[in-house]
Amino acid sequence: MPVEVVVALLGWGTLVGLDLVSLPQIMISRPIVVGAVAGWLSGDPATGVTVGVIMELFALESVAIGAARYPDYGAATVGAVVASTGIEGHGLTGIAVVLGLVLASVGGWTLNRLRHANATAVRRREASLRAGDPLAVEALQYGGLLRDVARSVTLSVVAILSGVAVRTAPALPDWAASGLLMVVIGGGLAGAASGAIRSAGRGRRLRWLGVGALLGVLLLVLRS
Amino acid sequence: MKAPLWRAFLRLFSVQGAWNYERMLGIGMGYAALPLLQKMRQQDPAGYREAVARQAEFFNAQPYLAGLALGATTRAEYQGVPGEKILRLRTALCGPLGALGDQLFWTGILPALVSTALVMVAFGLAGAGLLGFLVVFNGIRVAVEWWGLRVGWASGLEVSQVLHKSWLPKAVALAGPAAGFAMGVALPVIGGWLVADLDRVVMAGALGVAGIAVVMARVNPRVTGLRFTLVVATIILLSAWVGA
Amino acid sequence: MAVALYRIDDRLIHGQVVISWGQFLGVRLVILVDDGVMEAQWEQDLYRTAMPPGMDVIFAGTEDACSKLPAWEADPRRAVVLTGDVPTMAELARHNPTLVKEVNLGGIHHRPGRTKRLPYLYLTEDELSQLQSLQKSGVRVVAQDVPSAGRKDLKALA
Repeated sequence: MPVEVVVALLGWGTLVGLDLVSLPQIMISRPIVVGAVAGWLSGDPATGVTVGVIMELFALESVAIGAARYPDYGAATVGAVVASTGIEGHGLTGIAVVLGLVLASVGGWTLNRLRHANATAVRRREASLRAGDPLAVEALQYGGLLRDVARSVTLSVVAILSGVAVRTAPALPDWAASGLLMVVIGGGLAGAASGAIRSAGRGRRLRWLGVGALLGVLLLVLRS
Repeated sequence: MKAPLWRAFLRLFSVQGAWNYERMLGIGMGYAALPLLQKMRQQDPAGYREAVARQAEFFNAQPYLAGLALGATTRAEYQGVPGEKILRLRTALCGPLGALGDQLFWTGILPALVSTALVMVAFGLAGAGLLGFLVVFNGIRVAVEWWGLRVGWASGLEVSQVLHKSWLPKAVALAGPAAGFAMGVALPVIGGWLVADLDRVVMAGALGVAGIAVVMARVNPRVTGLRFTLVVATIILLSAWVGA
Repeated sequence: MAVALYRIDDRLIHGQVVISWGQFLGVRLVILVDDGVMEAQWEQDLYRTAMPPGMDVIFAGTEDACSKLPAWEADPRRAVVLTGDVPTMAELARHNPTLVKEVNLGGIHHRPGRTKRLPYLYLTEDELSQLQSLQKSGVRVVAQDVPSAGRKDLKALA
């Protein structure tokens, strides 16, 4: 992979890492966006979109509500794209997405560590905060942002390196590659479907989900 | 007051920038409050310090609606409302702004628009779909965020009545069904698109896996798609490694 | 069993309650037991504004709630009973030992004097011992912020 592509992917991974929580939350951190752009940067937009779509299905299941823990699919999707870009067929798509899911879980853990680190910083400045010192507030805010930059850069480096490792590793036997592809597509669809069913509850939204699904199946039949 | 309001608005984009378990959005709120409190700094330095301390206390809400609380509480600081009452308002706003914002954005507009983008991807319109998603989502988000900050700033302590009568609860009631509908359309369409060029065995296998995983998630909500996939993938990789 | 969850959460009604638990348990009714909210009409209006369609809310003071709990348990709607602090929930359980079988710790946040037990759970020694005696009296006390997260027993928090 050319150096300028690696640098671009590193920058992109860092941006989407920041976007998830800290700044500016414009949803470039959605895996479908991350994947498409990462694919385009590495010269294979089609793979980027495919990997992004599968990762997005997993992400649709988890809602980032309040303080609850959730995975970070941003840099993870960059890693998954790196692992499978520019390769004919779907031989590496399964393992690439599995790598992405592992990275997303690791990313969720780093987010948790970041929130602890920020809490420690807050405790250290407790007295100035209680005295209403605006400089303490600004220092904590910029400190938090810098910590997230560091987190996102590190996560992106790890994601890109492990992506390269996966694509250069000995090939999996065909049955395993197909099995992984089956599982990531099936697991992703199941995640999104479970999320949709759960969030539909038992009222009006559930009926609309049903109506939508019927229309979706109809569209599918008409196209084929 | 236009310029400080604008600066506070820009700072709200990083309202979660120092997210922590101790004060959650508190630091980000305090940071965004500073431009609004600037005028107080010269008029009443002691009051200013107290206000800054209050604004950086524990706060939690959906980030795009945090501006409503920011506007209302900073306005109350200028109205000479007792500090305790301002804190009470601030605390009382956390839950409702969280619940409304989560329903409107996280389980409403966001999945609705992501689903729409997925359908467009399946119809070969990936570029337009993704660009459209980002433009529409952020258009709505910026409009709502700016509305919230302005309404909060205009109403101070009266913010709860204003909120009750606003369009927000009605929009929340619409967002849920819209998201349900869009997700319903998107799932079969994108599922079909994903398996279209696979051979029949893999296609059938993927759909079978999806069925099993959905049932398992219904039985136990902790079996998410992510956890299910990681466990099964580990088994496959281990068997491949043992076989080799 | 109409009350599906007894929860302590100082944010009271918010996304984790009405969305995460609400959808998971099929909640139709939230009973908010808090003396402060009971006194402030504007706060009640605020919480009412935040309720999703199809979900009602009832406000009650502690004393009132202790006597009305059996009636709520008989209500056909699935409900969550929500308190903002440990003493209120302990009071409810003391008066209705046969009804309150499990208490969910959903979120108690930092305040001077409280020590961190979990990222979403900070408790003073006094609050911890109140929970421990609740547990001793036969009520299971479990920390779990959202349905998809792990359940943590009280013993793990001491």
